[in-house]
Amino acid sequence: MIVLTPLKNFQFPVHAECISPDVFQGKSVKEIASLTVWEGNKKKKLGDLFKIEETSAETPSIIINSDASEVRRVGQGMKNGEIVINGNAGMHLGEKMAGGKITVNGNANGWTGSSMKNGLIEIHGDASDYLASPYRGSTEGMRGGKIVVDGNVGSDSGCYLRGGVIIVKGNAGPFMGFHISKGAIYVEKNAGNRLGASMTGGKIVVSGSVDELMPTFTIDGVKGKVKIDDTLKAEGPFYVFLGDLAENGNGKLFVSQPANPQLSAIYDKYL
Amino acid sequence: MTELLIKNGFVFDPLNGINGEKMDIAIRDGKIVASVNDSRAKKIDATGLTVMPGAVDIHTHIAGGEVNTGRMIRPEDHVKDVVRKTALTRSGTGYSIPSTFVTGYRYSKMGYTTVMNPSMAPLGAKHTHEELNDIPLLDKATFPLIGDWWFVLEYLQKGDLEGCARHVAWMMETTKGYAIKIVNPGGLESWGFGRNVHSIDDVVPNFGITPREIICGLAKVNTMLNLPHSIHLHTNNLGIPGNYVTTLETMKALESVPTDGKPICHITHLQFSSFAGDNWGNMKSAAEEISKYINNHSHMTFDMGQVIFTDTTTMTADGPFEYTLYQLSGHKWVNSDVETETSGGIIPMRYKRKSAVNATQWSIGLELALLIEDPWKMFMTTDHPNAGPFFAYPKIIAWLTSKKARMATLAKCHKKAQKKSLLPSIKRELSLYELAIVTRAGQARALGLKGKGHLGVGADADVAIYNINPETLDIAVKYKTARKAFDSAAYTIKDGVVVVKDGEVVQNVDGRTMWLDIKTAEQIKVDEEMKRKFKQYWTVEYENYPVFDHYLKVPEAITVKASV
Amino acid sequence: MSVINAVTCPICGCLCDDIEVTVVNNEVVKVKNGCAVCEAKYMGYKSEHRIRQPLIRKDGKLVPVSMNEAVHKAAEILANANYPILYGWSSTNCEAQRVGVELAEEVGGVLDNTAVVCHGPSLMGTQEVGIPTSTLGQIRHRADVIIYWGCDPWSAHPRHLERYTIFTEGRFEDSEWKSYLNKVKAAAGKKKLLSAQRAGLSKKAPATVAESVVFNKPPETLQKEGRKLIVIDVRKSMTAEMADYFIQVEPNKDYELMQALRALVKDEELDVDQVAGVPVEYLKEVVETLVNCKFGVIFFGMGLTQSAGKFRNIEVAISLTRDLNMRTKFLIMPMRGHFNVAGANIVFAWQSGYAFGVDFSLGYPRYNPGETTSMDVLLRGESDAALVIASDPGATFPKRAVQSLVKNPLIVIDPHMNATAMLGDVVFPSAFVGIEVEGTAYRMDNVPLPLKKVVEPPEGILSDEELLKKILEEVKSIKAQKTKQKAEGA
Repeated sequence: MIVLTPLKNFQFPVHAECISPDVFQGKSVKEIASLTVWEGNKKKKLGDLFKIEETSAETPSIIINSDASEVRRVGQGMKNGEIVINGNAGMHLGEKMAGGKITVNGNANGWTGSSMKNGLIEIHGDASDYLASPYRGSTEGMRGGKIVVDGNVGSDSGCYLRGGVIIVKGNAGPFMGFHISKGAIYVEKNAGNRLGASMTGGKIVVSGSVDELMPTFTIDGVKGKVKIDDTLKAEGPFYVFLGDLAENGNGKLFVSQPANPQLSAIYDKYL
Repeated sequence: MTELLIKNGFVFDPLNGINGEKMDIAIRDGKIVASVNDSRAKKIDATGLTVMPGAVDIHTHIAGGEVNTGRMIRPEDHVKDVVRKTALTRSGTGYSIPSTFVTGYRYSKMGYTTVMNPSMAPLGAKHTHEELNDIPLLDKATFPLIGDWWFVLEYLQKGDLEGCARHVAWMMETTKGYAIKIVNPGGLESWGFGRNVHSIDDVVPNFGITPREIICGLAKVNTMLNLPHSIHLHTNNLGIPGNYVTTLETMKALESVPTDGKPICHITHLQFSSFAGDNWGNMKSAAEEISKYINNHSHMTFDMGQVIFTDTTTMTADGPFEYTLYQLSGHKWVNSDVETETSGGIIPMRYKRKSAVNATQWSIGLELALLIEDPWKMFMTTDHPNAGPFFAYPKIIAWLTSKKARMATLAKCHKKAQKKSLLPSIKRELSLYELAIVTRAGQARALGLKGKGHLGVGADADVAIYNINPETLDIAVKYKTARKAFDSAAYTIKDGVVVVKDGEVVQNVDGRTMWLDIKTAEQIKVDEEMKRKFKQYWTVEYENYPVFDHYLKVPEAITVKASV
Repeated sequence: MSVINAVTCPICGCLCDDIEVTVVNNEVVKVKNGCAVCEAKYMGYKSEHRIRQPLIRKDGKLVPVSMNEAVHKAAEILANANYPILYGWSSTNCEAQRVGVELAEEVGGVLDNTAVVCHGPSLMGTQEVGIPTSTLGQIRHRADVIIYWGCDPWSAHPRHLERYTIFTEGRFEDSEWKSYLNKVKAAAGKKKLLSAQRAGLSKKAPATVAESVVFNKPPETLQKEGRKLIVIDVRKSMTAEMADYFIQVEPNKDYELMQALRALVKDEELDVDQVAGVPVEYLKEVVETLVNCKFGVIFFGMGLTQSAGKFRNIEVAISLTRDLNMRTKFLIMPMRGHFNVAGANIVFAWQSGYAFGVDFSLGYPRYNPGETTSMDVLLRGESDAALVIASDPGATFPKRAVQSLVKNPLIVIDPHMNATAMLGDVVFPSAFVGIEVEGTAYRMDNVPLPLKKVVEPPEGILSDEELLKKILEEVKSIKAQKTKQKAEGA
């Protein structure tokens, strides 16, 4: 196990995609210390910015102690191993991750788990915008794996999801699940507006209240329980909506009936 | 006075009939000369290397509004291909639509020294030239799109060829253009209201003229003006199954245009115009029909538009065709119609081996290039970036020169496409001599570029040297070695200056922008009537329309004496 | 006296190029054809706020210095910075923007233009779904349905309607100017009649309040032949006053409205009765008008790009336009504000691949709005120096971003002592682009136009391009020196 401790508070963005179990694998502390990172526009060595220690413990593979909110691209594309961040994490954490596990004992920044393919990300604080969502201009959303956020998530999360599961135990911001085609999103508390806008498939389940429902969803019925994945079922009853009609979509939106009495005046007449 | 002597290379210079002879090439002050002072000249030892004229690309979308919009809408294309700044070179991005500097570096690194930007909306000509200025290491020229320009439609409809010719001459000077570009003639004007033409005899709404009349009319105008290149044509119905019929009709229609032996039309990216079948399910190659016609006629030249299996970006003035691609793919879609002149569109595209249609397209391009017997007729392009990015050229070189290479790729293609492909029956493998024709000599000749594409005395000293020893390397067998050599020139020499060594840029120079200064006996009158018409047709003032001289960083005017 | 024709106006994205300027003794004395804003700029650019010479902040005060001292100071700041911002660029020419990209690359900075606070979301929207658009003349010749959504050209782009849309003669469509005048006259007549009635002067029966407009109900004239003007906005703007149909959308509900229109274009039925304050039955009539037109166009402004949803608003507006192309010809275009913000996007893109928010800190261009955009960098306090040119973020950015800007060394290039310049540490006066300096600018439809120099700049005042070149050269020389010292040290 490698323990990284930042030597200072970073003002400038630090690009450190080398902080990944696959990269550290088989390298000595000295070799790890000489890996390239960027601090602002200056090329540095990892050892210039972090104290690097090795312990005999097997897991996790890497621990970052204290705040790393300016340290970007940690665990990018990682396939194996485990990273624990004891503090806040920087942008693009676990981007395009293909396996292994990342735990954040703090908040996560934008584009965490962006376009991830597999693996597990657990965030014990909040996650910012674009959780799991792809890079600008791309429609290649998260394809597999699982993300669990104990707190809230920002806007535009889970965009273009095409597989895998996102579980948010707090609230979700606007445009949650934008244009998803497959996979599942579960929001235990409340969801912002434009929920599931332009979705063409997949499912989004909200156990709390919904800010406002897109007018382009049509009611399909009421359901008692909804399966999120093999380990989790959400207790209803839920209104079931189909949409987004603007995309001739066939996605399913499950919205808690008891938590959303405002919907009954509009939709109960179709039931 | 700077002198350079390239010693002892195997020289392939088809325009001068030189086929792999061991000889020296002498350069003085940017030109090829008979000899230089042996003690004073800098020397390049080309022993065991292949020496060719700098390569020429007759059709590559590298600059201007359409290209740049493509750049702007595709961050996901750039992010996977970044280029770092060095002490000598600027930074930038690829992939399918590289930024300007990167475009220059990547072409130069493959031994290219001259490229043609084949598609420029006249209203955006300043933009095209500003970008061309930022493409280093290459000589460039650009073709204004005038096949649907209202002036052309109106003059041809009236049958006033001379009036049309004078306006075309004016347009060439005004946009600092090099050749007449025609795209889906009549279709682009129709697209102004969301319509299209579907045969060369459809009548263009509101203008009472047919594509046939536009194509033949402009071909005649081209002859009247004595332009160095022929008309440069993107056919009607491009990219649609069954379109080979339209292509054949177009070629036949052009037989009626008188010629003094020079080709009167260049049909570009022929692959896209050679589809048989009547829908995407039964779409197949018409390479046999098309190449048979071409082998029996000599009034035209062509380029491939070879498909590369990769993620790329299609962009063309053919707005209705791009809309068809949008309907097929649902991808992000740009449409960019230009008042009074033309249209345009962009769709990202991934050509997949496992797509029957894409794999058939890939096969068609190679079938055409191999079945058309005369290499002086058919040139190597990808219609960059439409069928693939230009830096994939070494792959095409391998497919053209090695049956082994193309069969290896075919084996990975969709089964249905494999079954339909004519490639297994084609034995032809291009020699280095023929390769030099399809990548430089033929292109330069078709373009009428006197100083390009050869190494005779007086030619521009644009030279490419590749790490290929034709005596020891059989490129048909060791195609991977050859591919590497063509990907990374041992030397690229531009105007007598070594700009690339071992695939790396070692010197930065600006290339020239060539344009036609056409001298007609009688020029168009820029009177109040013309200005009034201008105000009616465009939303910019007459005074602000032209590309002024200062927009060309290194201009090279080519004077042409017209016969009108 | 000289009269200069076909001058391009350096104010807004309309880039009207038919301005006639009369100059006497190096002073503009008369402006013809321009709108009020244009006239005011040409007549009033020589205000007292003009900066006359380079300034450097010493002991808290800006004091005049030599050009060389200012250039060296600015270059030193940039060459030593770890994460500088180079912001602005929208009110200068492409020639200066080109140098700007090279400077940003040389110093490894974040290069950003004002699109980040106006139409950046439009560019992001096009990155998601593309954009079916055209040049403005195409609309002038062909459009019979013209929609202004979240913008008020009558106020912000005063000549847009007369040059490019509803009040212009096209080859296939006529100007609606006369019928608009008739409408105005009729309305005025009705007003007179009403007041006459009130005064007891007229015996005519009380007028049926003819325009007893039902809120958001489409008028019958929406089905008329010829050009139709539709305005969609949260409030009744000047442009809305002249529209055939004005839809008042609830604030921040444009997204829902457009998505509903998309579903209706695809013949889907909606469960809801109204969307964003508009009954669905009215929306169906609107859709009828849209799909039955010959050529429609949507122009949109900051009412869409800067309200809730931002780039997703643009994405859905473009998606609506794409859907409408299944039924007819429909295009869309952003109403760009600054006269050359389009040029900044274009120049940045051809040199780097990206139109704004370009981060060169890793030695190559990177782009990710939210991460590499100037505003976000400032709000996170990451930068340690800035160069601001041809814009005034000191007046337009949120307070926290300005504080972050001011905290670090700040270089400002501007003709005026604007809010940002007053906060600067090194301030360069520059010549007015399009008045004292020529060059190229790009219209909102990406058409390049030449800018003219109609008068000489004050003595000693350089252009943005010249200033940037000086700074760039000095940066290169400082860096070369550093490399040399390092080599010698080693």
